[in-house]
Amino acid sequence: MPMTNPFEDPDGTYVVLVNDEGQHSLWPSFAEVPGGWTVAKAEDTRQACLDYIEENWTDMRPKSLIEAMGE
Amino acid sequence: MSKSQLEDILPLSPLQQGLFFHALYGSGHDVYTAQIVFDLRGPLDVDALRAAAATLLRRHANLRAGFRQRKEGSPVQVVHREVRLPWEDADLSGLPEAERDARARELAEAERARPFDMARPPLLRFLLIRLADGLHRMVFTNHHILLDGWSTPVLQTELFALYLAKGDDTGMPRVAPYKNYLAWLAKQDRAAAEDAWRSALDGLDGPTLVAPGAPEPNTQEPGRVRIRLTEDLTAALSARARAEGVTLNTVLQLGWGVLLGRLTGATDVVFGAAVSGRPPELPGVEQMIGLFINTLPIRVRVHPGDTVAAALARLQDEQAALMQYHHLGLSDVQRLAGSGPLFDTMTVLENYPFDPDAAGADLGGLTLHNVDGHDATHYPLTLAAVPGGRGLSLRLDFRTDLYVEDEAQRLMRRFVRILESVAYSPGLPLGRIDVLEDDERDLVLRAWQGPDTPRRPGTLTGRFAEQLARTPDAEAVVASGETLTYAELDERANRLAHRLIGLGVRRETHVAVLLERSAASVVASLAVLKAGGAYAPIHHAYPPERTAWAIDEVAAPVLLVDTAMRGRVARLGTSAHVIVVDDDPETAAQPATAPDVPCHPEQLACVLFTSGSTGVPKGVMLRHRDAVSLATDGELRGGAHDRVLFHSPHAFDAHIYEFWTPLLHGGATVVAPPGHLTGEAVEDLVRAHGVTGLFLTTTLFNLVADERPAAFAGLREVLTGGESGSTAAVRRVLAACPDTEVGNVYGPTEATTYTTIDRQRARLTADPGETSALLGHPMDDRRTYVLDPGLRPVPPGVVGEAYIAGPGVGRGYLRRASLTGERFVPDPFGPPGSRMYRTGDLVRHRPGGALEYVDRADQQVKVRGFRIELGEIEAALTAHPDVANAAVVARQDAPGVKTIVAYVIAPCTGGLKEFLAERLPEYMVPAAFVRLDTFPVGPNGKLDRRALPAPDYAGTAAGRDPATPEEEALCGIVAGVLGLDRVGADVSFFDLGGDSIAALKLVTRARQAGIELTPRDVFTHQTVEALLRAGEPEDRLGFEVLLPIRTTGTRPPVFFVHPAGGLAWSYLQFQRHLGPDQPIYGLQGSAFTRADLPGSVEEMARDYIEQIRTVRPSGPYHLVGWSLGGLIAYEMAVRLQEAGERVGLLGLIDAYHTQDLEAEKREILPELLESIGIDARMVAADGNPDMAQIMAVLAERDDALATLREDDLVNVYRNYENGLHQAERYRPGRYRGDVVFFTALRGRTADSPTGPSNWGPLVEGRIEDYPLDVEHHFLLEPGPAAEMGAVLAARLDKLHVND
Repeated sequence: MPMTNPFEDPDGTYVVLVNDEGQHSLWPSFAEVPGGWTVAKAEDTRQACLDYIEENWTDMRPKSLIEAMGE
Repeated sequence: MSKSQLEDILPLSPLQQGLFFHALYGSGHDVYTAQIVFDLRGPLDVDALRAAAATLLRRHANLRAGFRQRKEGSPVQVVHREVRLPWEDADLSGLPEAERDARARELAEAERARPFDMARPPLLRFLLIRLADGLHRMVFTNHHILLDGWSTPVLQTELFALYLAKGDDTGMPRVAPYKNYLAWLAKQDRAAAEDAWRSALDGLDGPTLVAPGAPEPNTQEPGRVRIRLTEDLTAALSARARAEGVTLNTVLQLGWGVLLGRLTGATDVVFGAAVSGRPPELPGVEQMIGLFINTLPIRVRVHPGDTVAAALARLQDEQAALMQYHHLGLSDVQRLAGSGPLFDTMTVLENYPFDPDAAGADLGGLTLHNVDGHDATHYPLTLAAVPGGRGLSLRLDFRTDLYVEDEAQRLMRRFVRILESVAYSPGLPLGRIDVLEDDERDLVLRAWQGPDTPRRPGTLTGRFAEQLARTPDAEAVVASGETLTYAELDERANRLAHRLIGLGVRRETHVAVLLERSAASVVASLAVLKAGGAYAPIHHAYPPERTAWAIDEVAAPVLLVDTAMRGRVARLGTSAHVIVVDDDPETAAQPATAPDVPCHPEQLACVLFTSGSTGVPKGVMLRHRDAVSLATDGELRGGAHDRVLFHSPHAFDAHIYEFWTPLLHGGATVVAPPGHLTGEAVEDLVRAHGVTGLFLTTTLFNLVADERPAAFAGLREVLTGGESGSTAAVRRVLAACPDTEVGNVYGPTEATTYTTIDRQRARLTADPGETSALLGHPMDDRRTYVLDPGLRPVPPGVVGEAYIAGPGVGRGYLRRASLTGERFVPDPFGPPGSRMYRTGDLVRHRPGGALEYVDRADQQVKVRGFRIELGEIEAALTAHPDVANAAVVARQDAPGVKTIVAYVIAPCTGGLKEFLAERLPEYMVPAAFVRLDTFPVGPNGKLDRRALPAPDYAGTAAGRDPATPEEEALCGIVAGVLGLDRVGADVSFFDLGGDSIAALKLVTRARQAGIELTPRDVFTHQTVEALLRAGEPEDRLGFEVLLPIRTTGTRPPVFFVHPAGGLAWSYLQFQRHLGPDQPIYGLQGSAFTRADLPGSVEEMARDYIEQIRTVRPSGPYHLVGWSLGGLIAYEMAVRLQEAGERVGLLGLIDAYHTQDLEAEKREILPELLESIGIDARMVAADGNPDMAQIMAVLAERDDALATLREDDLVNVYRNYENGLHQAERYRPGRYRGDVVFFTALRGRTADSPTGPSNWGPLVEGRIEDYPLDVEHHFLLEPGPAAEMGAVLAARLDKLHVND
């Protein structure tokens, strides 16, 4: 069945969102930004957003854990 | 027909052709019968009306047409000069008033039901019903081929104009005849029209169907719901249309497109629209009566990111470009799109409502009242819009066999909501238009979600410590031969944890784990957690390359193995520190107290690998809190999961349930003994250990349900899931086990094992017709959203993609930040900053809220419970230098048999299976490879997976026909199990695509048919022919001296000679490494079949030469042998040469002559165990091996050895003991030719001979030495065997070419 996922549109535009734990996510630019998330990278192509995540989210531990581990 | 009656012969318009063929070849009842019904109030001059009708027929030639096919097949309409006026009168005024209307409706219905004979004009009928004085009802019935809805008001207007003139048309304007339109049609540029439609539908991804699979429409009247929009909304819609420069029709069509998108999940939708089809340039066309109306596809892109204004503009432009091509028939357009029906809904904008007042003149006190119209719609949904008055009227017609009125009302309300957004919010992205009603939103986002509990995030170590304090002496791990209490488990884990810490394991450090299923798996997992680390189990089916990759990927400083697995990692060359957990004195020396390492619920507990679409697996990172959430879920409490069977691979997420659910509650995890789990084994374990709960993959559950449904009887609950379940299998189990519940569970690894559960007993008992195994409801604190492409919840019943939120949604993918960012995304419905996991599963809510699985949104499949990304297999295939392109699909060509099939564009498929087997786990290696020159593509230019041909097993399946009734029966069973039409009696089950699960099925079905087989028989005999001989008790098949491994193929066979233990079964695996054209035999010791043992190597060689000559009377002979087998092979080669025969290949696998083997002093049993690939230390740690334990270890193996019996072992022992003496005594002669030698590098001493040093002086030829980084006893493990197989295959190819 044809079903298009909003995260899989090669021609779509996306943003990168980040939350207080430092977790990053791709997000389609047409959708409202959910509470607790802020735009880390403004609207761009899908690949550019993925590259941004790859480059900027280097420690995937949530911030609260990093703090708890005393680093 | 006489000449005088014939006025004209005309072609048919494309639309008429469509209806004509439908009438000729339709399903019996013609749905294209239309009807107009209206009441006439006031004094009626019946004669005048009848005269008017007659004149109408006279004026319009096309109403007098009949339809025929010429002899050569082309259809024509034959216009008769005169036709009888089909007019009937009925008088119901004598009936009681209450009955009149009902009776009148019956009459009208009877008119509709009465078919027209297409060849006998006119294809229309008038029925005038007198209901009372001054009240008549006109029922006008016609075939749609004559006229369309747009013609109706023209016809009515003309009819009453003629009525006033009592049928005299002298003052009326001349008719613009329909044949003018036919002439216009003939002049149109068909090629241009086709091009325009082709490009309009280019790239469309399939039809848009709201009711796929709906039965053929019947003559049932459609249901109808109507609504009149407010003046405000009507005005706003018109204003919006004006502001955007589009028509009202475009506005409505965009709205319908958005609604369809929400109902189907598609972002590119098609529906039909009625177009008037009247070309404006044709004079008088507006006053013509005839068939012009056309239904044409309207394609609307409803990309969630496009704004309302942009979508309107695009739609308007696209439709304007098609305007001049509205005359093409629908079937022609669909043919251009390369598909069948493109849509099953349509829209009609009725611009021509009949306005009685506009009929013009005074009808002498007579007034007309529309009662009903029946046009020929038969789509599941048709939206009609009728402008007029001050508010737009909408009517939704629906097929009553598909929708009930409430649903239609809801659809209408959704449509109106969409229109409101379109009218008022031109800048809104389409994805943000909301169609959900408040009660629905409450259901899908709140009521149908998992119950909120006050549970707090916790750590596995913390919760385990609490449980330890409560029940230190309770059983925690129950394995065959040993039971650990909580205190013992804790102590062992503590020691290992200290050891790990000593090796540098810290918080968040990953530790790779490769263990056989045993109590040690639990100990090791707990120990890693206690050290602060996360365990990363490696699947034992991984080939060496992939195992090494996984250890690197987790960057594990330590790899935990046991003695059974030690051999596998010995040659990996990993930099990780390898600890053999059951043979590590340093661990034993560590303190028994818990190490002081803090732990946080957010810390990782484990990393589990799953298939990845880009070509390498991905590691799912799960946290302590995720595992704790599952383990403490209320759905798994209450005693049913206190003693849980551990049998899933450690690398699967099911182990989290199997370990931690019991261990956090004072229960026990019961370790299943090695080997495939059968119904019998389940039954034994439940009885022996009081198991209360277990999980089986769908495949295994169905198998046990087939074979032994009562096996679950002692359980409180059996959980199953992973693939679409079979309610038939569940029903069998429920019936056979009245006290056992069956829970269908669903959830991806990323969300920690199980997210939803559906208890089957009550539901299936309540509804005997239920055939869906539902996924059920979210478990405690879990959320499962069903979202559309705009990330909004879909209405109940509509298919959407499942997103999972709440506890259990793990941290992400190890070292895959961007992949994590794609799949673990913000949860718009949860607490601020929370995430949800995008599953790729398409699901829908059933009424009541249970989730139902529908499909996958991508290429992930489940085969035998394994989650597989087909893209990963494709990536591995295209890495082969000869493969230009590859497509891999999971086919289900027979019910219940799912196989992976690879399609390649490559010169040949030879070697591909072996190539993949080195890179992928066994369960990902396709069962069949199909070579294609090109891939089939759909009209949109994409690969059309459905058009890939079924693999032709005929080549392999051919073989010989069954010769006896027994063979015929068993061939039939094999064919049934594998989903083939037929199989030959002498073809290997495994060459036909069989696997271990299919083998178990075969055994079950054969038994049902009265043929007793064991799984071992299938492994060792493989063909129907041999399997049936296996049933003969006096025969020792599988133990015969000459063991047929593969008897088919045209090349000279290879003979593999047994090592000292006497069995040649370890050579079975060379089937995978040597090409399909290469016959293979094993030579086995005679101790299994004869009482007296051979006296010497020479005697065996003589005996075996006799044996091989029965299948290969003359050379060249290819001979290979391992250990003692090498000596025998050498002796055979020498003797064959002496007899004047040619020897092609002579392969010696770590075999040396004239060695002092200290035969008298050796511990024979452990060594012979090693000779068949078993590390004897694990079964004979105290020097007193226990036969039951040995049997259990053998059973664990995934090969033929798993089926050895005790008396066979005794024979292995006899052979071995005898063989050592013979090896020491053997003195070889000279051999003329090359030798291929394999050296085991491990375990050598300075005094160990080499192949060249040992054999060089005797051999007149080259000795090619291939070193392998492995111990002598492990040479026939799959890894080194594959390496040797490649060498041998290359050598055989070379010999074959030179022959």
